[in-house]
Formats: sequence, C-alpha cells, structure tokens
Amino acid sequence: MIKNTNIGLGFRREIAEEFLNGNIQPDFIEVAPENWIDLGGYWGDVFRKVNERYPLILHGLSLSIGSPEEPDWNFLSKLKKIIKEFNVEIYSEHLSFAKMDNAHLYDLLPIPFKEDSIKHIIKRIKQVQDFLEMPLAIENVSYYTPIDSELPEDEFISRIVEESGCNLLLDVNNVYVNAFNHGYNTHEFISNMPLDKVVYLHIAGHHKLNNNLIIDTHGENIIDPVYELLDYTLDNMNHSVPVLLERDFNFPEMYVLKREMQNLKNIYAKHQQENVVH
Amino acid sequence: MLYTKETYSAQKQMAQLVRTGESINVPGSKEEGLIQYRRLFRNNINNTMVQAFPIAFEILNSEQWDSLVDDFFAKHDSQTPHVWKLPQEFYLFVSENSYSEKFKLPFLNDLLLFEWLEIEAYTMADSNIEPYLKEGDMLEDVLETNPDYRLSRLEYPVHLYSGEESLNHKGDYYLLTYRLPLSFEVKYINMPLLHVLFFEKISIERMSGKEIINQLVNDNPGTEREELTSNFSAFTKTMLAEKVFLGFSQIYHN
Repeated sequence: MIKNTNIGLGFRREIAEEFLNGNIQPDFIEVAPENWIDLGGYWGDVFRKVNERYPLILHGLSLSIGSPEEPDWNFLSKLKKIIKEFNVEIYSEHLSFAKMDNAHLYDLLPIPFKEDSIKHIIKRIKQVQDFLEMPLAIENVSYYTPIDSELPEDEFISRIVEESGCNLLLDVNNVYVNAFNHGYNTHEFISNMPLDKVVYLHIAGHHKLNNNLIIDTHGENIIDPVYELLDYTLDNMNHSVPVLLERDFNFPEMYVLKREMQNLKNIYAKHQQENVVH
Repeated sequence: MLYTKETYSAQKQMAQLVRTGESINVPGSKEEGLIQYRRLFRNNINNTMVQAFPIAFEILNSEQWDSLVDDFFAKHDSQTPHVWKLPQEFYLFVSENSYSEKFKLPFLNDLLLFEWLEIEAYTMADSNIEPYLKEGDMLEDVLETNPDYRLSRLEYPVHLYSGEESLNHKGDYYLLTYRLPLSFEVKYINMPLLHVLFFEKISIERMSGKEIINQLVNDNPGTEREELTSNFSAFTKTMLAEKVFLGFSQIYHN
C-alpha cells in the first residue's frame, strides 16, 4: 500500500538492476503500462520481481484521452487486468492526445483549450472510469505551443476535473515549464487548480533550450525553483499525496537520484512539522 | 465525438505536421513550438528504429535510412500502443512497399525480419510450457517443444553472411529463432528443409519419431528407412541439447 507521504521513482529499464539489488529503494515505483503489458522473457521476469518488492502506480502514455476516436478497449481490458493483478491504486494519464485518425504518434500533443474539448474529454474520462471501475487521475502536460485555444489552461484543466469527477495528477515541473514557455505565474496557476482533487504529484528536471523555450525532458536534475514550487503546492494543499521523481534518460549516478528523493522527503517532513505546530 | 469541425481540424493539422514535417498553418500556434514537436516526435520514431535495426542502419546510407523513417511515420498508421512492438510494423511497411527494389538491396526485407525476430523472441509473452519428462524414447515418444519460438523462411541468408555476401547465396533458408526458458537467451538455428518437416510434425502435429518416419517412408517410395531414422535421431539429439525440445511430452505419451 502506498502512503500519502511516499516518494517514488519511475522504474526504467536502464536502472532496473539498481531497484532489484536494493541500491536504490523508493517507497513505490511508477511505470507506463504500455512498456510492460504483453512483455515476456527477461523483462517480463524483471517486472514480476520488482512488483514483488515495491507498490506500483501506473502512468499511461497511449490512452489519448483527447483523441476524436473511441478509446482502445482492447488495451484497456489488458490494463484493467494488470490493475487488478498488482492492486494498483492510482492509474494516471495525460491530458493530451497521442493518436489521431487511427494512428498512434508515441508522444503527447496539446488539446485545444476550448468548450467543445471540455465536453468531449469529460465524456471520454467517464467512459474510461466506468470501464476500469476506478477514478482516473489526469495530468497537466507540458506543451510548446497552444493549438486553437480559447480558454486559459488553468480553467480548462479545472473544469475537466470538476465536471468529470476524475482526480488530478499535478506535475509541478510541467507548471514551471509551461509558465516559462507561455508567460504565466506559477503560483497563480497552482492556486487555480482544484487542489482538493490532487491524488498524486510529479516532479522532474527539464532542459532550457533557449531564452524562450524549455523542453520537458525528464533528463536533468531538478532545479531549485521547481523544488520551491512543490513546496508552495504542498503549502496550499490540505492533504498529503505520493510524489514521484521522474527520470527517463541521461541517468546520473544513483547517489544523485537518492539525494533528489531525500530532498523531496525533507520538503514533506517540513510540511508535516508545520501541520503539527499549527 | 463532441469536437467541433474546427477543433477536429486543428488536431488533424497538428498530427499531420508532426508526422510529415510539412509547413502547415495550425491555428493559434507558435512556430517555434511546432518545430520542436516535429523534431521530438520524429526523433522518437527514428531512435526506436535505430535501436531495433542496428545492422540495417549501418548498411543503408543516411538518405535511404531517413527516407524509410520519414515515409513510415508519414504514411503508415501505427496500430500498436506498445512502442517496443513498433519495429514489426516498420519491417512490414518496408517489405510491403518494395524499398528493397528501390534501393537495389534485395536482402533488405530479410535483414529487417532477422533483426525484428531477435526482438520478438526476446520480448514475446511467455507461453505455457506443457508438462514433460526428461527421459524418454526418441522414436516412441512425442517430444515437447520449447513454445517460445518463431520459424521463418528467408531468401537471403543474412543470419549466416553479411548483407552483401548473402546475395551470393540466394536460396531457401529456414531460421528457427527461440528463447531459452531460464536464461532468456535468444538463439538461432539454421534448418534444412527435412528438419523443418521433422520440427513441424513434432511441434504442431504432435507425432512421435516412429510415426513421422513411417509416414515419410510410405508417402515417398524409395526413401531409405534406416537413413531417415539415423537423420531423425541426430536431429532430435541436437535439438534436445540446444533446448529446442525440452523433453518428452507427458500428454502425448505412447
């Protein structure tokens, strides 16, 4: 079982051995189900072993909740099986689209922030939640250009979460990246989120490409302003939730990831002390 | 779908832009962001294929390789949600669209298949292994096949020679690619046609050695029983040692 103050780390093939030999021991792991469903042989065996050791959160890539077409029910059936088999408590997905005209694109594109998009996505979320018999946690995604948008991003996300009954995975690094790329205030954005619906937080490093654009790479260390944004988010939330450190490539020595996870624990510890004092 | 025509169209244009790199005017977008999306999406597909097909990537010149990746992403509607299965769709796309002829590289399809088979054998879902005995009679009993295998026919023996050299050995080749049950190591065996016949009669038709030999002798007058039996015995010994056969079936037991 995952506790609300737990710090997790994304389970990736490149550092799988470190999890299995105990060199790194997060409170839980997160994987993209698409990368492990149907997999046998060596990696299927590794996946079984790591799941015996750590609680699991699933963070999907291919649901494409913003696609015009119907969800992939065949994939969702397999997903439901894994959710039951490993007692998965949180399944999250991106508020984006990654499939168009029956073709997977294997990365995330931003949805137009519009009234019709809100209606469409609410319907899709409800379909998926009904099928899986559990709430979906939707993540605010980083994006490098808006598309045909009419509403502010914070209103778009809030209304979808409130009106669909889903939960929110708030990625504080994505808030930082988007605020830089699109010129808004991070604190204002966080304050406008439905924080009571947050069930899970993500934090990661990014790459500043130039003075106008940051790319959300998950391939660098977390920078101080992003830690500070997590701190601010927890300040404004009335409850604790698990936090995941995302690192997808350019893996450093394990002590760097351990230090980052310790930093996250320290931020949580500070908030718990404050709550006791208050 | 509850999208308006305009929203649907904007999404379609965005997807078209990342797939083709064409200069498309996506409403309400910033050009620098569009450039980054195309770069990131295209890199993702390219990196997946470079990793999956290292030999083909080495053999093709950069213009040929780039045209395969670009055409695949632009023209093929990828169906799998699992990016690690995408190389199979790439192989099929290249085969079905005659790039081997366009590039004058007749062995290209076989090479891509060979490279995909390694991934497939390494990653394919674990099959149930039927109960088997370690000891048995190679002629009387039915052998139990290691279920994690693929048997393929190649025209160019890219599993035996380099791509260019394989052109000098065009013929009918049968390649058994399989995964060992405990170490998960992927292994290959080049099989003559007679052994393919033995293998299929054992693994698919579940026949014993004696039944196979009787059938072949009856169906092919003039076949030397002793020679065939000796060949079959040598084949099964090797296949047992190589763990293509795991033992002797408990279900199909004479």
